[in-house]
Amino acid sequence: MNILTIPLRTMRKKWLKTLLLLLVFTLSVVSIVSLNYVSRVVGESLEKKLNAFGANILVMPGSEKLTVSYGGFSLGDMVMGMTDLRESEVEEKILSIGYRDRISVIAPKLVSMTKIGDVAVGVVGVRFDREKVLKGYWALDGAFPVTENGILAGAKAAEKLGLAVGDNFELGGQTAVVAGVIQATGSDDDSVLFANMDFAQALFGEPDHVSFVEVSALCAGCPIEDIVAQLEEKLPDVEVQALQSIVKQRMYAMHFVEHLILTVSLVILFIACCMVGATMLSSVNERIKEIGLLRSLGFSRRNIFGIFCFEAVLIGMASGIIGYFGGYALSLKVLALLDMSKEAVLTMHPGHLALTCLLIVGVSVLAAFFPSWKAASIEPSTALISL
Amino acid sequence: MLEAKNITKTFQSEGVQTPALRDVSLSLGAGEFVSIVGRSGSGKTTLLNVLSTLLAPDKGQILYQGDDVTGFAPKRLNELRNRDFAVVFQFHYLLPYLTAQENVLLPFMNGLGPVGREEIARAEQCLERVGLGGKGGKLPGHLSGGEQQRVAIARALVKQSTVLFADEPTGNLDKGTGEAVMDLLTDLKDDGLAIVMVTHDENYAQRADRVVRMADGAVLS
Repeated sequence: MNILTIPLRTMRKKWLKTLLLLLVFTLSVVSIVSLNYVSRVVGESLEKKLNAFGANILVMPGSEKLTVSYGGFSLGDMVMGMTDLRESEVEEKILSIGYRDRISVIAPKLVSMTKIGDVAVGVVGVRFDREKVLKGYWALDGAFPVTENGILAGAKAAEKLGLAVGDNFELGGQTAVVAGVIQATGSDDDSVLFANMDFAQALFGEPDHVSFVEVSALCAGCPIEDIVAQLEEKLPDVEVQALQSIVKQRMYAMHFVEHLILTVSLVILFIACCMVGATMLSSVNERIKEIGLLRSLGFSRRNIFGIFCFEAVLIGMASGIIGYFGGYALSLKVLALLDMSKEAVLTMHPGHLALTCLLIVGVSVLAAFFPSWKAASIEPSTALISL
Repeated sequence: MLEAKNITKTFQSEGVQTPALRDVSLSLGAGEFVSIVGRSGSGKTTLLNVLSTLLAPDKGQILYQGDDVTGFAPKRLNELRNRDFAVVFQFHYLLPYLTAQENVLLPFMNGLGPVGREEIARAEQCLERVGLGGKGGKLPGHLSGGEQQRVAIARALVKQSTVLFADEPTGNLDKGTGEAVMDLLTDLKDDGLAIVMVTHDENYAQRADRVVRMADGAVLS
């Protein structure tokens, strides 16, 4: 028996009121936890889908550009000390950064120029399996190449060269076959031919050599600047650039979902707080006799404040624990209903549970603060007059 | 041991000032039983509240063992209420969700430290002292009005206070039960407890060592 016996017995005696309060608060926690989990999965899924609209980081060879002019006559830009990009090395280093789990696609490119007949055309060596993920917006006549010498032709390039699906043509002394033609995209993709990376390296470069690397990173869990900084640290001699406009567009979509969920969660939490506050306030008014008696027995203001706050702590703690597990279960159910359970990677983390409990206890104590303070401020004489 | 010097108290409600105590002085010796009588509104309950530190006076001093308690810091005032002073009200004010024994132990329950065996034994002794031995496990709702008031008296005794303030302790009881409570108070006085009792009942007042009469917030005799 100690001071905590008083709030514990009060809650037991008024079990229905306690139960209703617990239910309201628990339902709020369940809603918030499940909203948080579901939004995280939906957000990541949304971002993965957005990745099909291109990369958001460029890894390019490091170089120094010098603008040369003499006597008012411009001699153009001179590129000095351009570093070489090795595909295997770059890929290995990208996958060694701290945020490697946020890297969705690494798509290397080898850009070269050649002539087919008398027509000059750009040829881009790519890894088709990765390009397929990154360029989800491509609409093809034909299909992605499956053979080593398969080619995807941009709409304008195919038209200029008179190429159609299934055509064979000579490319750098080797026979290439058109596996597909990309329908007009309005971008640079329309004017080039896409070849398998190994095929292109054998024809126009050297093995393992690439011109630049496009990286698609998931930015929901971290700022793009942090990923770029980590890449720069691992690849000190190359230039790493975030495509801010693309990042911002994606983050806008992501932040919209996040802000919506945050707003709904705050509204739910606010309503739950009001409920706790109102119930505690009515409890203080009901128990004014008890407060007067305890004060006459030498209980300090801090003691009285503690009695009421402890009730809020207990309700917050129980709601936090039940609500966390309830919210986790509900989010699994909701994701199953949304047909997203396969892509959902939900893990029950003790840290999340502790954080949820801490947050909810904090919020419930905050809600009970004014009623508890009011209870603690009651003078014994005032309570006695009301007796 | 306890002395009130020139106590003045005025209540203010909606701009109207009502004097409750006018320059009241009173002293109480160790082990003395003083009853305060007077009509309703004479200021006797206000005086009891001021003496027991539940109400601060506007003017005057309350000296307890030579110290002016009106200047005490809240912490010291709480200690005084908890250890030296005990109050019994007209209504018992037992907490309905605690047993009789737990209600008696309430003055020990103002901290996180658990109530010890010694305190529990002391509560049992107090319950026996008021004739409720063996009833410590009962909830107040299962006790009669007289028994509930005796539990309240046991609660006042458990800390071995030096002064007991009783505000109409028999006011809510039938004659027989009231007599029993008065017998108990007289016994406690004989054991050395100083008592200040407010009552309407002249017969009960006469059982005290001294009767103080009040009218219009002033002591008549």
